[in-house]
Amino acid sequence: MTGLGWGIRSLGRHPLRTGLSLAGIAVAAAMLLDMVMLSGGIDKSFGDLLLQRGYQIRITPKGTLPFDTEASLPGARRLVRTLRADPEVATAGAILGSAVYARTPDSLVTLFGYGVQPESQGIYRVMAGADLAPADTTGLLLSAAAAAVLGGARVGDTVMLAGRLDPQIAAAAEDRSLVVRGMVEWLYDYRGQPSVGAVLPVMQRLARQATGDPASLVLVRARADSMVEPLVARLRADYPTLEVNSVVELVAQAKRRLSYFTQLAHVLGAMSLVVTVLLIGTLLTITVNERLGEIATLRAIGIGKATVVSQVLAEGVALTVIGSALGVLLGLATARYLDAILTSFPGLPAAFSFFVPRADTLTQAAVVLLVTGSLAGLYPAWLAARAPIAATLRAEAT
Amino acid sequence: MRALLCAVLLCAFVSRPGRAQVVDLALERGTAGRLGLSVGDTVRLGTAPDSMLRLGVVRAIYQPRPDPAEIARRALQARFHLPDLAELLGAPDRVDRFGLALVAGVSPDSAAAELNRSAFGFRAYPSAQIASESSQTFQVVSRFHRAIAMITIVASAVFLLCIMLLKVEERRLDAAVMRFVGVRRRTIFYALLLEAAVLAVAGSLLGIVIALAAGAITNAYYQRFFDTQLVFSVITPRIVALGVGLSLVLGLAAGAIAAARLVRTRPMVLWGRA
Repeated sequence: MTGLGWGIRSLGRHPLRTGLSLAGIAVAAAMLLDMVMLSGGIDKSFGDLLLQRGYQIRITPKGTLPFDTEASLPGARRLVRTLRADPEVATAGAILGSAVYARTPDSLVTLFGYGVQPESQGIYRVMAGADLAPADTTGLLLSAAAAAVLGGARVGDTVMLAGRLDPQIAAAAEDRSLVVRGMVEWLYDYRGQPSVGAVLPVMQRLARQATGDPASLVLVRARADSMVEPLVARLRADYPTLEVNSVVELVAQAKRRLSYFTQLAHVLGAMSLVVTVLLIGTLLTITVNERLGEIATLRAIGIGKATVVSQVLAEGVALTVIGSALGVLLGLATARYLDAILTSFPGLPAAFSFFVPRADTLTQAAVVLLVTGSLAGLYPAWLAARAPIAATLRAEAT
Repeated sequence: MRALLCAVLLCAFVSRPGRAQVVDLALERGTAGRLGLSVGDTVRLGTAPDSMLRLGVVRAIYQPRPDPAEIARRALQARFHLPDLAELLGAPDRVDRFGLALVAGVSPDSAAAELNRSAFGFRAYPSAQIASESSQTFQVVSRFHRAIAMITIVASAVFLLCIMLLKVEERRLDAAVMRFVGVRRRTIFYALLLEAAVLAVAGSLLGIVIALAAGAITNAYYQRFFDTQLVFSVITPRIVALGVGLSLVLGLAAGAIAAARLVRTRPMVLWGRA
């Protein structure tokens, strides 16, 4: 019989304790899996989100991150024209974000408005109807949430937007009648955010920023990923009054802001490993102590130390593998539950996820768990190997 | 009246500006530290790096109330007199929000509803509602912590049950000997149960000590990491009671199950000669 078969049979002798140990290892492995997914999931999810439309660079007002403040950068369209003329730039587009209002039969509703350059946009996907044409100053794009707020507005409907409200005279300085061209999904909206989009000049007027040609940010797509870093460095030098960041740098900044979760993941992951080691180590130590007579007998009939040691280690491996397999199922279920909690953060993009399975980190975690579980059997294996044969057999006989 | 700085850039330098052209400002402690500024220093102010035309003098450095919503942002903050900031931003007579103090006896909900009936371009909220909405983030974090705590409790419970079972089963030979010399099953059962209880109490006490130490380390680390006075880990008597109670109940239950199995087994089986 092989060491593994022997180990499994030995575990089967005590079904209750083996079952409890497996349950403990499964819960610890599930926790480890979740924490590994959490620690690597934030940057993966955020990176994927920012790169959805292939724009690798963001340009924002100095000292700010995209949509982090109400600050805007001036001369947006001229900047975009210059960028589009750059041989390393595939395309660039400006975006302005601002609160706007829509008139409904009985009230004004507040919406979030995006001013876009439809020919180069990286923040929405058309779900129904058509996209805006670059010079379409009478068209509007709606999210499903905005359509609901506007009483079920559909493609072809007319929506009256108001801007530059003056509470003192109860009037809007800007009223625009826009026709819904398409229903879109805004990629960075939080769940239920009522957002609308119009071409940049229309939104600039509605946002009382008609002069100075402002934008909240400019998206830039480099011709190749390998060009991104040198292009970012060059743009920083060319535009010292603007903030130029690659997606990699933005992910790093987001990760710094969410460092609490990453650190928590590391601490809890380490604790899961400790629990696994303690469980396997304790179980095997007591099992070996109980079976010292049996081990001494095997040794007396010529079974080598290496065989005994491998049998004890095989028990540890069997416990780890079976417990981890159960833990994967448990971990995937709990990850969905925990992700549902964390993604309910206010203001977080609906497409963001904290718990993202990544092949590399999961493989790493599985290897660490397997090695740790196997190492936990070292001490009991050493106890088994050093058991004095004659003394143990004598003690067993009396 | 003071207002929070909104996207105003500061550039520090030392000079002796004329009194008329400068504005007064107060810097948040962390901001002053990061920019290396102190009271009396002069800074250049503007809304863009290429238009830093106004001068400001740091008149005070303040310590804001710890705000969990702000710790991760680490934003640079300064306070200005409202007219100074409005002029600086090129938005005279414009504010982000008003605070209203109601006369005694007026309900904030009804006052807000009354204002909203005629609101145009603004919306009134009772302070309680704003507090509730701004605490959403912490409610999410709190729910996440509770979920993690539940998983941890399940893992600990299984671990405790397992250890207690192994611990009692380790006494097979002792139990066999006691049975051979005539000790009653009930006495052996209670002895093993007592042992389990002592173990659970000792483990709980050790757990409290470890928890207090871990809490202190957590607080020290994150207070330093985020440069804040916020308390991150609070171990209340309720939490201690829950932890101790849970470990005692689980320890005694596991001990009782294992002891019952042991005393039901024939002594010769316990002795390994059956």
